[in-house]
Amino acid sequence: MSVAEADRPVSVLRRMWGDEELFARELELVFKRSWLFLAHESEIPEPGDYVQRRMGRDRVIVVRSEDGVVRVFLNTCRHRGVPLCRADEGNASHFRCSYHGWTFANTGVLRGVTYQPDVYGRDGIDKSQLGLFAPAHVDSFMGMVFANWDPDAIPLRDHLGDLAWYLEAIMGKFDDGLEVVGTPVRNIVKANWKTEGENLSGDGYHTMVTHATAVELGLFATPKDLELLTDTVTPRFTGRTVDCGHGHTIRVQRLPVVVEGNKYWGYPEDMWEQFDRNLSPEQQQVMSALSVCHGSVFPNMSFIENFKTNIDGPGRHARYFRITIRYPISATHSEQLWFLLQPRNADPEWRRLSSRAYLRTNGPSGMFELDDTENFVGISEASVGEVARDMPITYLGGLSHPATPTEVGWPGNAVDGDRTEKTLRAFHRQWAAMMGGDVVVEP
Amino acid sequence: MTAGFAPPFTVESTEWATAEVHAAVTSFLAREAEAMDKRDYATWLTLVEDDFTYLVPVPRTPDNPFSPHYDTRSMLIDESKWSLESQWFRRLDREIYELSWAENPPVRFRHFVTDVRVRVSSDPSVLDVRSNVMLVGTRQSDAPKFITGERIDAVNVVEGGFRLAHRWVVLDQVVIDFPQLRIML
Repeated sequence: MSVAEADRPVSVLRRMWGDEELFARELELVFKRSWLFLAHESEIPEPGDYVQRRMGRDRVIVVRSEDGVVRVFLNTCRHRGVPLCRADEGNASHFRCSYHGWTFANTGVLRGVTYQPDVYGRDGIDKSQLGLFAPAHVDSFMGMVFANWDPDAIPLRDHLGDLAWYLEAIMGKFDDGLEVVGTPVRNIVKANWKTEGENLSGDGYHTMVTHATAVELGLFATPKDLELLTDTVTPRFTGRTVDCGHGHTIRVQRLPVVVEGNKYWGYPEDMWEQFDRNLSPEQQQVMSALSVCHGSVFPNMSFIENFKTNIDGPGRHARYFRITIRYPISATHSEQLWFLLQPRNADPEWRRLSSRAYLRTNGPSGMFELDDTENFVGISEASVGEVARDMPITYLGGLSHPATPTEVGWPGNAVDGDRTEKTLRAFHRQWAAMMGGDVVVEP
Repeated sequence: MTAGFAPPFTVESTEWATAEVHAAVTSFLAREAEAMDKRDYATWLTLVEDDFTYLVPVPRTPDNPFSPHYDTRSMLIDESKWSLESQWFRRLDREIYELSWAENPPVRFRHFVTDVRVRVSSDPSVLDVRSNVMLVGTRQSDAPKFITGERIDAVNVVEGGFRLAHRWVVLDQVVIDFPQLRIML
């Protein structure tokens, strides 16, 4: 599907939210052929550091080998299939199997075969052919480690396409970079893995309805909060959504203000100079007076940078940056991982406030997430019936919105307008392209 | 790095409270759980100190059996009396409850608090109170789900009874399977 086609109507059948046959196809056709986010390099800074993650339903070890290279291996012994790691995280120079003791270096090479002469004869086994199974490609961008089983996959940077520029604006503005804070939270969500990704691809339409009480309770910027920051508050939030190709999308919502120069509210003011220095003028425009930007890296990763208000008392505002991924468990269940990323060496007081801004709104125990999740769970529950599953979904929002003039300098297919379903269509077009034609219907 | 997070007591006292104090604290914990399960937030707020903090570290499975099965660098829940009073507990306010979608209908919560251990801390006005907690949550017509953990509470001895000063809860389950995570354990 070309990028231009994302501006045309598209629909999919509701069975995409709860059909086990489609789910089995997704595991083969989407998860085995996509670049999948696994970890951030800051989680495994030292040689031997590893975390256990999943690609689709396969467990993998993401390890920084002794030579400093980050490698990914299927977490299963090359001999008889027992997992080599049982922990979520740790440090190991070698992985030893608990069944017969085969030992692998953290580069994946088979080093030791227990009782080798006795079992296999002196030359009966070629250890060089029995290293750990590894995906065809492992690469990283802005510290984010991705892997792909498909030998024919295009390079990661090409795959991310126009989204890379936006990810650089979000993650590349800090002198000392970002680091993941602690172990990611993991939980089971009784919803299809696509629901939250679809929403985060760029649904600005739901905010004031789904999150009405969180807004009412002061957690989302109102004119009253903004008047304390600037005297030029305008009536409406403005926003753009961008279809970046390959199903990757972003939505950028700007605070309703007119300001001179860049206002990176939500960060300590002594950091602002870094952002001006590290970002291009167009990227500064994305980040200045930001309310929220969020998007999805197809298929199962999403990100959000967000300005939240009155988090820890009146006037206590902060931005946070979060990455989430969803492992497919079944058609109606997924496992979500939650990563909070913070700028290295930032003021500890601000980091605590930013962490609370995340936890109390869009963290796993946050008020926004609570209400979102009820929608996502409900969508799967309401889509498994024999009648409902064959009904189409309505994705007509924003078809009339004007294209953003190219001289603005935002890459991708950018469109003015905050309440739209444009990016949702882009997400589903990519899904449909990978799944085969029969999943798409005319709206 | 951010300042690390820590439980209210890092060293377990060896001195146990008297049977009388133990019984009174156990009753206090039951009253606190009752108020929360009944969503009687007005009563609940009278049972905690103004600088009350509530922390739940992120559970994990580390490779070292001698490391804790939680991470003190990051939290799953980080709340204060202020945030509970002005954010969590207002979701059912008359003017807004109809738009608090996740509470419509609300998840039913029920606490089971057992194995209460009351120790005297180095400060005679603060008790080191540990308990096992199981919270059962039932959403709509779903089967109930449960979550278990160990609570470490700092309980202040005050005129006429006790007040909860700090709560730290270590969860057992790493991949949490519960209807919602905005929970007071």
